Amino acid sequence: MGMRAVVRAWVTGLAMAGGLAAAAQSPLFQEPRHAGPKTEAVAYLYPEQVSLPAGKPGAVALHFRIAPGLHINSHNPTDKLLIPTTLSIPDSSGVRLESASYPAGADYVLPADPKTKLNVYSGEFTIDVRLIATAGDHLVEARLRYQACDQTQCMPPKTITVPIDVVAK
Amino acid sequence: MKSRGPIPVKRNTLVLGITLLILAALAWAGWANWEYRKQAAEKMLANAGHAELVPAEPADSMYTSSKLIGKPAPDFSLQDLSGKKVTLADYKGKALLINFWATWCAPCKLETPWLVDLRNQYAPKGFEILGIDSEGDDLKAGDKEGWTRNKAEVARFVKQEHMPYPVLIDGDSIATSYGGLEAMPTSFWVDRSGKVVAAQMGITSKDDMEAKIRKALGD
Repeated sequence: MGMRAVVRAWVTGLAMAGGLAAAAQSPLFQEPRHAGPKTEAVAYLYPEQVSLPAGKPGAVALHFRIAPGLHINSHNPTDKLLIPTTLSIPDSSGVRLESASYPAGADYVLPADPKTKLNVYSGEFTIDVRLIATAGDHLVEARLRYQACDQTQCMPPKTITVPIDVVAK
Repeated sequence: MKSRGPIPVKRNTLVLGITLLILAALAWAGWANWEYRKQAAEKMLANAGHAELVPAEPADSMYTSSKLIGKPAPDFSLQDLSGKKVTLADYKGKALLINFWATWCAPCKLETPWLVDLRNQYAPKGFEILGIDSEGDDLKAGDKEGWTRNKAEVARFVKQEHMPYPVLIDGDSIATSYGGLEAMPTSFWVDRSGKVVAAQMGITSKDDMEAKIRKALGD
């Protein structure tokens, strides 16, 4: 009877430890990022860390949030002069961006100009990327370039850092 | 028959104790690893100057105040699209609208026809608009390809919108003297004595723009 209790305790305990360790890495434990001066209209949310097979493409979904009341041009804006939202990764990072799939934007019109349609992101959006990493641990500083507006004015284009810890084995 | 009392209890307690110790060690290792990676990522973010989300101001509280109101408009020297140097002093004695804009700015495109109409209407009374392109893309002075591309895009916009007034480039170089260009369009109305009489960040109605022009003219 005593041995059964001990075995039960081991199994329960190992399951709890495994759950705790997994939860510590999961997006549910991520907090929205905030630091530094109030200038950015877009914040990167998660993931902080991803695990990929070394040398092979791995899919990752990058989540962003746009400040309330603002919108940014989609990756395919309606005018050539408008600045699209674009993700990039520096060549020297040890991680290559094989492809990026951007969400479709939503139609938007300025209240003062209902005839002109813009194609924009607002609220939260996700960019699905495929990354190829060499074996090892890479702290990648990806870049998101965007240009934000509200109903009456537009802010200059901005580029924010998207930090991702890529562990490739 | 001998009693098995104290020895099995002591062994089970020992095993349970060791089990709990191992669990605690595993949990701590997981937390420590997560904390380390979180700090490393936060450090990277802080170095990159990542910032807090800023909720937009409501549309009806557009910026209309400026520290420049009541003061002389800061002088500047910029080039027009032909490369000719243009200074604020060239327009001494005229009422002006100094209008900062950018090719990627949809509200700027919206107000341009109003600016064209108002300029044509009030030019005979001594009013002029200076349209100052400010792309905010940090072009370096030596970036010939960048500046050529910039000028071509501005020229295409000017032609498309039929802008009859002087258009100057590199407005970002004078942004600081005009209070920083946080958003486009940003406009300053200047009277004949060179004093700023009104300011506006974001678009406003054509009627409001006209009222500010009349104020600059001294009507």
